[in-house]
Amino acid sequence: MANEDNSTSLAWIKKTLAEHVSFDLRILTYGIIQEPANSSQNPGNDFLQMPHYLADLEIRPDLRLNIDPLELSVKPRMRLEYSFWQEGLRKGESQWDDDWYINEWLARLRLLQNLFVSYGRENLQWGPSYLFSPSNPFFQDNGRRNPYLEVPGMDFGRVVWIPGGTWTISFIANTDEGRNKITGPVPFEKTYALKLDYTGRENYASAILSYREGSKISLGFFGGWTISDAILLYGEGMITQGSEALYPQQDSSLFGASMIKLHEDDSTIKPVVLIGGSYTFGTSGTLTMEYTYHSPGYGNVEADTYYRLRNKAAKAIPSGGLVSGLAQMTLGQTANTGLRFLRKNYAMVQYTQTNIKNKIDLTVRWIQNLDDGSGQGTGLVTYYLGRHLELFSVGTVMAGRKNSEFGSLMDYQWMIGLKYTF
Amino acid sequence: MNRHHKKRDLILLFCTLVSCLGFFLPSLHAAMSPEEILRKADEARGNTEGVEWEIEIKSIEGGREQNRIIRVSARSFNSLAEFLAPPNVKGQKMLMIDRNMWFAKPSLSKAVPISPRQKLIGGAANGDIASTNYAGDYRIVHTADDTINGEACHLFDLNAVDKKVTYDRIKYWISKERLVGVKAEFYTVSGKMFKTATFAYENSITVEGVPRPFISKMIITSAVMKEDVTTMIFRKVSFKNIPDSMFNLNLLLR
Repeated sequence: MANEDNSTSLAWIKKTLAEHVSFDLRILTYGIIQEPANSSQNPGNDFLQMPHYLADLEIRPDLRLNIDPLELSVKPRMRLEYSFWQEGLRKGESQWDDDWYINEWLARLRLLQNLFVSYGRENLQWGPSYLFSPSNPFFQDNGRRNPYLEVPGMDFGRVVWIPGGTWTISFIANTDEGRNKITGPVPFEKTYALKLDYTGRENYASAILSYREGSKISLGFFGGWTISDAILLYGEGMITQGSEALYPQQDSSLFGASMIKLHEDDSTIKPVVLIGGSYTFGTSGTLTMEYTYHSPGYGNVEADTYYRLRNKAAKAIPSGGLVSGLAQMTLGQTANTGLRFLRKNYAMVQYTQTNIKNKIDLTVRWIQNLDDGSGQGTGLVTYYLGRHLELFSVGTVMAGRKNSEFGSLMDYQWMIGLKYTF
Repeated sequence: MNRHHKKRDLILLFCTLVSCLGFFLPSLHAAMSPEEILRKADEARGNTEGVEWEIEIKSIEGGREQNRIIRVSARSFNSLAEFLAPPNVKGQKMLMIDRNMWFAKPSLSKAVPISPRQKLIGGAANGDIASTNYAGDYRIVHTADDTINGEACHLFDLNAVDKKVTYDRIKYWISKERLVGVKAEFYTVSGKMFKTATFAYENSITVEGVPRPFISKMIITSAVMKEDVTTMIFRKVSFKNIPDSMFNLNLLLR
């Protein structure tokens, strides 16, 4: 009798866990080979000191508990990394690092059938674009460049109200930078956003009004239209007044120019607009094209000043003393200007085909800087080796002069690894 | 004794009524317009006020077999598909809000918009796992009578009302007696048949106290490579109240 009771209780616990708890575990192991570009931004790899080889092991468990009206989730992470330097000041050195952290967690409560409140560390992304998501005031990286690397989460409080099937209103407060440590001229400040979403029968649109403490209000927007079974059109953008990024300005300083927040107090509108579309072929591959007008980016004159300044700073690094210090500070500023892209006009072409012979997913992508002629090509291949294991490869090649955006940091990068999912 | 007589009379009356109903049912169906018949057939393929089911997909393509188990929550023409197995696709989600579709997976930072034509697995397109809305998406251009496996059927020639649907033209056989779709042929714009599908309805759901047949199996065969076959088995069908929040991109947990 007691045995029967025990087995009934066990069955009940198993059933309850199966209904309310979910657990996923992914283990990734990968190696990266990268060739730092010998440019004025990183002469001889002495400034950025990028390792030539990296080997990583990542354990990524995801846990979720759903006891309506409460949902809880947590994504703890462990990373073990080995780095080896082949160029620059650390040539011949190697290093082991381990990192234990929670990349994302969330507690969400349904107050009413159509009203939700949540707080947690999230990777809060939206918008239809691949190249980047200009409408998002919180994240510069939308994680599309390399889907095997996780975007660090930030802390958000959210209230989501769904007044009807087609409309959603969200209030979002970004209270802490979390793991997304922001360096450069635009440090983290608390940011608040009001997001309005509309989803129609074959289209959708959203507007995001955001305010970053100590800054001006920005208006983000995105929308998409399912033109036909195979064609999608979309757009995304952000309108801001001025810019908090660094711009090169000629002056009488040692290098003949300085990086300053030239447009911080400007009231001029600086829009970023991305338009894109995709076509799915009968054979199931999808071709996507995007064009971006990035108004805060540098014009030709500013770009010339920027590269001249960078060249002078790079040459001054070996001088030693104060001059070397100033040169290093200048290269720090030119490496992180606070702009998502350096110039104004960009194009992206991408071809994706999934489930090739029920085994392979393939993506090839080219990003072209239309102002300086440099480009970045990426190839992503996933080969499924069964129900649990996949072999993946992400290769990136840069094209362009050393004094161009994509030619400045790296010549190529190749990542190859295995992912095991339990 | 009288009580026994009364009981017998009642049973006789009930049997007579049921027989009459059986006799008149085909004529009741015959009185329905082609559009009503098509709408009725849609109801057995997910077009209800809220339904949840699991689909097991087995695909053989180029001699290779691949499987998926997907849980679909659907209401009207919105659905959320969650991939349950195998482990390497577990956690992937496909949200379909009418013709708008997004795909999210645990390793992707954000959900990306996809087109209904994009291949799900084998011969199944994304649009195939969503609720069927042939009555809204297609115009009946021709009707005829035909027989499939000895079952009398309406044969509807359907043309897409616009370019926004998964298939340009469908030939659709609907059982005259059961009012469910039993076979379909799918055609490209150029008029070339590229796949066929057959349907079985061994599931049943109860809507407002009335049992209704519900799709249990769909077998898709490529018209070009006859050996490429995708079988979709629908199970664990339950009728439930699904809120708007289920289909909200802002609340989609990755």
